[in-house]
Amino acid sequence: MRQSARLQTILDLTAVDAAPLCTNAQAGCHVLSLANLFDRVIQHSARMHGISNDLHSEFELYFLPSKNQIGRVSRNCHTSSILTPNGKENAQRMAREELTEVILKLLVAWRDPLWHFHQSMAHHHDFNNFSSNKSLEMSDMVHELRKGVQKVVEKMQMLGIISNSVSNLASPEALLASDSAEWRLMKDYDLLYCFRRDSNKVQNYLKILKCRIVPEHGC
Amino acid sequence: MMKKFGEVILLLLLLLLFFVPHAEGTRYSLPGKPALTRCRSPEKETFTCWWEPGSDGGLPTTYALYYRKENSETVYECPDYHTAGKNSCFFNKNDTSIWVNYNITVVASNALGSTFSDPVDIDVVYIVKPNPPEKVAVTVMEDKGWPFLRVSWEPPHKADTRSGWITLIYELRVKLDGENEWEMHLAGQQKMFNIFSLRSGGRYLVQVRCKPDHGFWSEWSSASHIKVPDYFHRERSVWILITVFFAFIFLIVSWCIHINSHSLKHCILPPVPGPKIRGFDKQLLKNGKSEDIFSALVVSDFPPTSSSNYEDLLVEYLEVYIPEEQELILEESKDLHDGCLKPKGSTFDSDSGRGSCDSHTLLMDKCGEAKDDEQQTDQDGSQTGSEAQRQQAAWEQEALTYAHEDMISPDMSSGRVKTWPSVFSPLPQYSLSPLSQPSSLETAKQHCLSDSLFPPASLSSYLTQPGQSTKEALRSSYSDFCSSNKQPHLLHPQPDARHHLQAHSDVNISSIGHKEAPAGLQLPTVQSTEYVEVHTVNEDDMVLLHPVPSGHSHGKGCLQMHQGEDYSKVNGVDKNNVLLLQRDVIEEQVDMCPCENQDMNGATESCCTSAQKSIPCIHTTLPVQEEKAVNGYVDTATMFPLPIH
Repeated sequence: MRQSARLQTILDLTAVDAAPLCTNAQAGCHVLSLANLFDRVIQHSARMHGISNDLHSEFELYFLPSKNQIGRVSRNCHTSSILTPNGKENAQRMAREELTEVILKLLVAWRDPLWHFHQSMAHHHDFNNFSSNKSLEMSDMVHELRKGVQKVVEKMQMLGIISNSVSNLASPEALLASDSAEWRLMKDYDLLYCFRRDSNKVQNYLKILKCRIVPEHGC
Repeated sequence: MMKKFGEVILLLLLLLLFFVPHAEGTRYSLPGKPALTRCRSPEKETFTCWWEPGSDGGLPTTYALYYRKENSETVYECPDYHTAGKNSCFFNKNDTSIWVNYNITVVASNALGSTFSDPVDIDVVYIVKPNPPEKVAVTVMEDKGWPFLRVSWEPPHKADTRSGWITLIYELRVKLDGENEWEMHLAGQQKMFNIFSLRSGGRYLVQVRCKPDHGFWSEWSSASHIKVPDYFHRERSVWILITVFFAFIFLIVSWCIHINSHSLKHCILPPVPGPKIRGFDKQLLKNGKSEDIFSALVVSDFPPTSSSNYEDLLVEYLEVYIPEEQELILEESKDLHDGCLKPKGSTFDSDSGRGSCDSHTLLMDKCGEAKDDEQQTDQDGSQTGSEAQRQQAAWEQEALTYAHEDMISPDMSSGRVKTWPSVFSPLPQYSLSPLSQPSSLETAKQHCLSDSLFPPASLSSYLTQPGQSTKEALRSSYSDFCSSNKQPHLLHPQPDARHHLQAHSDVNISSIGHKEAPAGLQLPTVQSTEYVEVHTVNEDDMVLLHPVPSGHSHGKGCLQMHQGEDYSKVNGVDKNNVLLLQRDVIEEQVDMCPCENQDMNGATESCCTSAQKSIPCIHTTLPVQEEKAVNGYVDTATMFPLPIH
């Protein structure tokens, strides 16, 4: 129930933004609505990360006897090509537009892999239904979160907070770029591991973005 | 031989050499395997790893930490072994990468060798354990008189929550000083919390800790002590108020019950109803004086006594003859409770106001006719009406003094009928109905009543309503008075008076005649023994009559009738609307006394049979003489035809 509720919040987010609540004259109202948007998105990303964490732990428990496997350093996430800030200073030094783009790239990159992961999960008889549902929800969440972040970006661009240089990552070119065959080589466990990390990155970047743009609302 | 002995000794020395160094080698060995115990990052920007050294092998052992980052073969050594203490490695900001997998190994080495620990993979994001919250402040605040604790704190200064790099959630715990149980409260991301439900005068300890989204709980902050002030007195005052309130309620309830105890008693044990007779005094009964009781029952104002003006004018005695069953008994005394007054064989009608019209008899149409006639004569007799009224009133009052009850007893035994008071009692209502203008119907009834007395044939029809018949009898007697000519001298005092009288008699006769004419009734042989003499004529041209005592004795309740002519019967009305009266010679006596006076005339008959013999008496009467009688009433009637309106 909760998961569906969280999904709903993102849907509401997209729907709400379709009908502008503020007039152009009220700047404070815009800021407030932007902060609300950020909060919703961050909440959603937190929820997503939680699911991925659960799935990863479950995987580790049942499928990998030894936790620390030396030699598995060649864990290569397909998203490692995306340059992401690895520290606070790096993240703060990054421009808003860059950071926003990174977020969107990450979200875009994970849409298909998670879908296929869910498909493979469904065929696994070892996995219980609960995990299968989680993988489906995870896959949906990524999709909705991307839409939400897109809305936030549009709002920010409308407000002039960021420039319009942020490309529309929903374009077919972007999709094709991310749709590389690398992720197909990944194994399930590595996929989960990578996604858990990337969802954490998304959440963290969104928080940084929010506290940088609307710091007075809960930072 | 010597050679062999020498070889054995060399062998032994070599063996000794071997063992000695081995004996020393047991004290020196490779260092034991170290183990990384934990790595922690307080703010997700730096982290520290601690290891546990193994046995040192007897030789000085050195430890080294090497790490390798994800997807890189480069091995780095720990940059800082000292900041974090012994057997630790501190990674500063430059060396820390988030979302990067670290592969860390500790190597222990001594003179003999080195030992590697097991590698550990860590990601800094998941090893964050912040410092405890700082500046924990606890204050006592009041909410509508009830105290509560307000705890506030700040995040650890190292954790950067402002930029959103770390998100911390907080938790606090409270306990009373001296107890073991802690009360946990999760505060979320807020930095302030209220604690309610405190014990008055208690001493509390408060601690706070925090945790990042995915990480470890920090240590508890140092305990903050707080003492809650006493508010016991307020609680006590509340209890006192409640007690007073309930006591008040109880008093009110008990008071209400006490007030209504009487009615409650009545509800539960209803009292036995006592006798309820109006005028009945229970006290008198208790006293045992029956005379007083009964006298109390008697209505003092009944019969109504008249004013003194009329006492002189009241007729004392009257004798009225009522034929057959309708004998009216009149008594002077007030003792009317004996059975003499009881009617015989006839039902009494307490409602004496009802006329004969009520009885479904022939008089129904008579009443109607009489009514019409009365109305016509009303205007004529308006002037004389007042006179008649007064006379009537006078007579009534006189009569009422004699009788109490409206009872008519057609006592055949008594020859005389005394109906005067009783009959007249209801009459005041009607007064002189033909003269005044009461309800015409009632007057018609009255006339009918009077009519009923006269015709013997219709007597039976009126038996059912003796009360009315008494009225009629009285009326007839009244008319008798009016029409009697026993004392003509009285009736001819003066011309004007005579005129008045005549007029009066006109009206009377007319009234009577109207009743009688349609009925064709004969005048009953009701003889009035007492006549009214004209006393005076006042200034209003009203004749004031004077009761003339009869020659006979005023016997107790005995009325005697003189023999005389009676013109109270109307024979008929001719075409000129002239009343034709019938003169009867009254030869009969009606006496209330038990047939005492039978010496009146030869035609005396017993009182018992007086009524019955009215018929024969009537028959014996003289024929109707349509002529002027000696008494003016009747004659004048014929002399003065009544105009008909």
